[in-house]
Amino acid sequence: MKIDLANPAWQQTLPPARSLAADAPVAACAFNRDGSTVAFALGDGQVRRLPADIAAPAPDAAPPVHSGVVLALVGDPTGDGFVSGGDDGRVLRIAADGSATELLAQKGKWIEHLVTHRTTGAVAASAGKTMFLFRDGEVREFGPHPSTVAGLDFSKDGSRVACAHYGGITVWSLSKDVALPPRRFAWQGSHVALRWSTDGKFIATGTQENDIHVWRVAQATDMRMQGYPAKVKSLSWTADARFLYTSSQPVFTAWPFSGKGPEGKPPLQFGDEGAGLMTVVAAHPAAEFVAGGYDSGELQLGDIRTKRSVVLKMADGASITCLAWSPDGFKLAVGNDRGDLLTVDLRR
Amino acid sequence: MAQPQVPVTVLTGYLGAGKTTLLNRILSEQHGKKYAVIVNEFGELGVDNDLVVNADEEVFEMNNGCICCTVRGDLIRIIEGLMKRKDKFDGILVETTGLADPGPVAQTFFTDEDVKAKTRLDAIVTVIDAKHFFGQLEQGSEAEQQVAFADVILLNKTDLVSADELAKVEDRIRGINRYARIFHTQKSQIELEAILDKGAFDLGRILEFEPDFLHSGHDHHHEDEVRSLSITADRPVDPDKFQKWMGALLQIKGADIFRSKGILAIDGAPRRYVYQGVHMMMDSAWGTPWKDGETRSSKLVFIGRNLDGDNLQRGFEDCLK
Ligand SMILES: [Zn+2]
Repeated sequence: MKIDLANPAWQQTLPPARSLAADAPVAACAFNRDGSTVAFALGDGQVRRLPADIAAPAPDAAPPVHSGVVLALVGDPTGDGFVSGGDDGRVLRIAADGSATELLAQKGKWIEHLVTHRTTGAVAASAGKTMFLFRDGEVREFGPHPSTVAGLDFSKDGSRVACAHYGGITVWSLSKDVALPPRRFAWQGSHVALRWSTDGKFIATGTQENDIHVWRVAQATDMRMQGYPAKVKSLSWTADARFLYTSSQPVFTAWPFSGKGPEGKPPLQFGDEGAGLMTVVAAHPAAEFVAGGYDSGELQLGDIRTKRSVVLKMADGASITCLAWSPDGFKLAVGNDRGDLLTVDLRR
Repeated sequence: MAQPQVPVTVLTGYLGAGKTTLLNRILSEQHGKKYAVIVNEFGELGVDNDLVVNADEEVFEMNNGCICCTVRGDLIRIIEGLMKRKDKFDGILVETTGLADPGPVAQTFFTDEDVKAKTRLDAIVTVIDAKHFFGQLEQGSEAEQQVAFADVILLNKTDLVSADELAKVEDRIRGINRYARIFHTQKSQIELEAILDKGAFDLGRILEFEPDFLHSGHDHHHEDEVRSLSITADRPVDPDKFQKWMGALLQIKGADIFRSKGILAIDGAPRRYVYQGVHMMMDSAWGTPWKDGETRSSKLVFIGRNLDGDNLQRGFEDCLK
């Protein structure tokens, strides 16, 4: 990897980047499968697609594809485009040329969460209490859950999906050959975010009551990590599954999951304080880097091996709402609640 | 984005009382304002509007094991989602189902930091069907609770009852909640200024909102009935003692205390101390300064079930200097 977090120039100025202003808050951002295009989900129904190459000219904005807020956005695992979800209850597949095909329409429901599985090409969406699975041109329904699904994720091999809701999580087996009953892991309260570990062994949730809950999937045992000043809505496992990064702290906060796990240990914390509270955290897709976005608008990059970090001075009060690494790990997409669409190129 | 907090009005009342009529009016009338409406029964409203959002009233119990600490998780999500829109609102109205307990809705605004940052609970408005109110009181605790929680009451369908009947209904309402402002209406006809942007939960406006706030009094009631009472004192309050007493009171009686609020003359403090609570959840702040020569008196209001006025009075007096 040729990313140098100690690059002294970045202390003063941003690394090479392209910044565009949209006139609606950004709810999500993503790169497409081959990393050639970056897209931003906007509060006016637009999915703004831009070349990932920051030197390439930015095309004009396309008309809105959703009739309300675009709440969720992922790269299409089966093509060169994207899949989006909106508060109009629709899931759309947006092709590379910008044309949109409707995968699902659930009037009166909001599509708040979308996740993909790279090798199987599957996409899962939540709409109210139901989880929808799109795979091989088919749509399947899972649920209803005890409450609206507030987070979901695929297992490492793509054979299962876990959904967060009131009272815990539900793990669905997606196999069509063997119909397995869903497994329920219980913990009272409202679970508001969910991420399955990159090695498939753990499922982590953030709860309404400012803590983290983690289940060992095989053993069905669980653990709880407390001490956050706010809800943890952003969770990110490192590529090697050794650490779980969590938002809602002033610095990078990583729970160690190698060896005996995090029980009874404090989390690893590093980085600069003073940038406010971290709203989004995104571990690098391959290396030991991490990016954190703050409610102040600041962006911080860190390296867990050296505990070094750099704050990119872009704080201006617009809270960062989303972060996405390009598949090759060289670019970072950043969106905030004012509508700034930022693509940073971190190659040295 | 440093936006002002959007006021949220909670609209409660039995099925058929006139909530839908009121919402339809707010959505269709020309008032130059933009309101988002969160409803529980989609399609009930005659207006097809993208500002109408369907909610499922998903109440969850918090992990503290307490039965009164319940929150509307769906509302947290919906408010967060509404704030992502390009267009901003002048206000949000939340309609609850006919049998809903207003507690979880109100508590949502005391619990969730994101909701608190972007919105503020403005007032609880309860619509009452003058003709069927007594019948509804007998059907369960909901009608009584909806009156108890209210800041504003629309005593609706007054054209369907005699003046005598109306007076009896109003008496009964006052017996439960003497601090709410009551409007007599037909077909939910009311000036919107009467129900919107009231600041009933605004700590800075506690005095302004209470028409009967300064009257203390202990009426004789059945123990389990919901009622409202106030306590006053002219001696300064010891803050530590008060905190202890109030903390213990809410621990033990929180489930029975629907609403509470107060203005305290803290010993040695130049400003009023004001608080506002729903069940066990509470917000407090320093209020306006006392003027020179002004009588520094403290006032506490409780609306709830099984309230022992004498006991509360004694408890509070033990907190005085
Ligand atoms: Zn409680």
